[in-house]
Amino acid sequence: MSAALRPAGAAFAAGEVIVKAEGVSKYFDVSPPWLNRVLERKPRTILRAVDDVSFEIRRGETLSLVGESGCGKSTVARVLVGLYAPTHGRVEFFGRDLAEVNTAAGRALRQKLQMIFQDPYASLNPRWRVAEIIAEPLKAHGLMKDPAQIAARVDELLGLVRLSPADKVKYPHQFSGGQRQRISIARALATHPEFLVCDEPTSALDVSVQAQVLNLMKDLQRELGLTYLFISHNLAVVHHISDRVGVMYLGRIVELAPKRSLFATPRHPYTRMLLDAIPDLDMTGRARTPVAGEVPNPLNPPPGCTFHPRCPHADERCRREAPVLKVHRRIGEDVQVACHAVEEDRIG
Amino acid sequence: MKPPLLEVRNLRIEFPTRRGTLLAVDDISFSIAPGEVLGVVGESGAGKSLTGAAVIGLLEPPGRIARGEVKLDGLRIDNLPPDEMRKVRGREIGAIFQDPLTSLNPLYTVGQQLVETITTHLHMSAQQARARAIELLAATGIPAPERRIDHYPHQFSGGMRQRVVIALALAAEPKLVIADEPTTALDVSIQAQIITLLKTLCREKRTAVMLITHDMGVIAETADRVAVMYAGRIVEIGPVADVIHRPQHPYTAGLMGSIPSMEHESERLTQIEGSMPRLTEIPPGCAFHPRCDRAFDRCRRERPELLPAGASQAACWLHDAGGGRLAA
Repeated sequence: MSAALRPAGAAFAAGEVIVKAEGVSKYFDVSPPWLNRVLERKPRTILRAVDDVSFEIRRGETLSLVGESGCGKSTVARVLVGLYAPTHGRVEFFGRDLAEVNTAAGRALRQKLQMIFQDPYASLNPRWRVAEIIAEPLKAHGLMKDPAQIAARVDELLGLVRLSPADKVKYPHQFSGGQRQRISIARALATHPEFLVCDEPTSALDVSVQAQVLNLMKDLQRELGLTYLFISHNLAVVHHISDRVGVMYLGRIVELAPKRSLFATPRHPYTRMLLDAIPDLDMTGRARTPVAGEVPNPLNPPPGCTFHPRCPHADERCRREAPVLKVHRRIGEDVQVACHAVEEDRIG
Repeated sequence: MKPPLLEVRNLRIEFPTRRGTLLAVDDISFSIAPGEVLGVVGESGAGKSLTGAAVIGLLEPPGRIARGEVKLDGLRIDNLPPDEMRKVRGREIGAIFQDPLTSLNPLYTVGQQLVETITTHLHMSAQQARARAIELLAATGIPAPERRIDHYPHQFSGGMRQRVVIALALAAEPKLVIADEPTTALDVSIQAQIITLLKTLCREKRTAVMLITHDMGVIAETADRVAVMYAGRIVEIGPVADVIHRPQHPYTAGLMGSIPSMEHESERLTQIEGSMPRLTEIPPGCAFHPRCDRAFDRCRRERPELLPAGASQAACWLHDAGGGRLAA
């Protein structure tokens, strides 16, 4: 069934780039109402939630985006599944523009891409039984009509997420948080997607339940050959699940690198700061260096590199000129950093 | 050994409902020494926040203390009339809650709230109290405190607001602070700042802290001892390094294994099957036995009490040397 959406002659083998974001920006107009602007002479206010973000995701890999609240990571997730249209830039999915997703012709494309949300309490309709919840994408996409066929597929999906077929007659409130998140995963898998956008899928869960869900997601990735974009603020979780990691700060990616390299030798000062801030289980009693300052107001970001007020390495150029995310020859091909200090070799 | 500052004995918290009484906290005992930080960890619904609320007398009805006692400095505080308890709360015991927005009154400036707390509990004039409030704000690391004191809570960021809450909790120099998930609502980089601040301030004043959290990392960095709660009971209590590196209860071991580690890579996390039982469905015997892979016959029948286990104490029959000994 996937043959229909692939461009003729282009086979997407393992390791092929299947998602490509090019210069994606998403601005929100948060101006006061027109009358206030006229009477009180208030200017228009534009929130640059995501600002010129580019990355690629290859088949079968997990790319994570980490950052603190308000850094734009969830907005990227929403742009990627087509819930928001990007203000600038474009997203390519299997070589086709994502803008097509919202057209009738994009239906086949849409099946290939699903989303898992953060709050399993809010993302399941409390008045629907589990069977109806999981079958909804099948019906919405017109993939199956025969009730017996749908029931069989629902059972199969419940099995995939390690729930029992007997659970399908229950309502969401009869499940714990972890089980609910499994139901959302089953629903997301209903249309045989290849790419899942997971927006903080475990942050509402307790650690032991989080472990179950993370293990399940890894198993499913292996069994079904899924590709993930994983959004999280928890660096330990990101370390566990990812192949590559992008660190976001105020709407921009400041560092994009393979997991091992990012955690072993973080390059951007903000990445170093984040890694320093994690409480460490193995070094009881160690005094850690607290991070100075807070994230500035995204409505009024500092000029130049937006991180410069908190950065110990900032100089005149950082205050003036915004750095671009790029490969530095000294570091290697697979690491991209947006930092003048790294470029000028001022920091190691 | 010094006499404990806080002593909780056989505390039992019940919620009467139409369908019978729910036991939210079942017979727990622990103590906190002066200047000590006791971490209380557990998953949601384990009863850790209720325990904290019971200690400061803020249990919300219909929840009530059904049995047991809470002693502060040797005096019972669980049966004090509300007026008396109000004097203890704030003066002797400070509280820091998860969400700084709900613990501050949005209609008063932070200065008014601090001055109110200070003049209620300490004999100070309004001017003295204001000077002290500025001092407190400065101690919690708020820049330009003389100006910030006249701002309203909404004018502060999340991290700054939590600093104000800490200043409020410490305003009357209490002997004990109950911190219930003080960093959960904050971003990682701010979390580190707040934990460091709390640790430094309490060490300076030798304030004891009951730190309630689900974040083992925060406990590892802050606590001297840690109590692990499961389904309304303490399953393990001991020095923090022991509980983290040499867990004695299978639940603690599972909990530690389920935390993704940054140090070493593993394909899979340790997984405890199932989830914590609801209060209505707590199994007989050890509440953890249906999820425990080391459970044996006795675990299904008899409920274990805390037994000595290594440097800690664990409520698990695996640590019963006598084998056939009945629970005390």
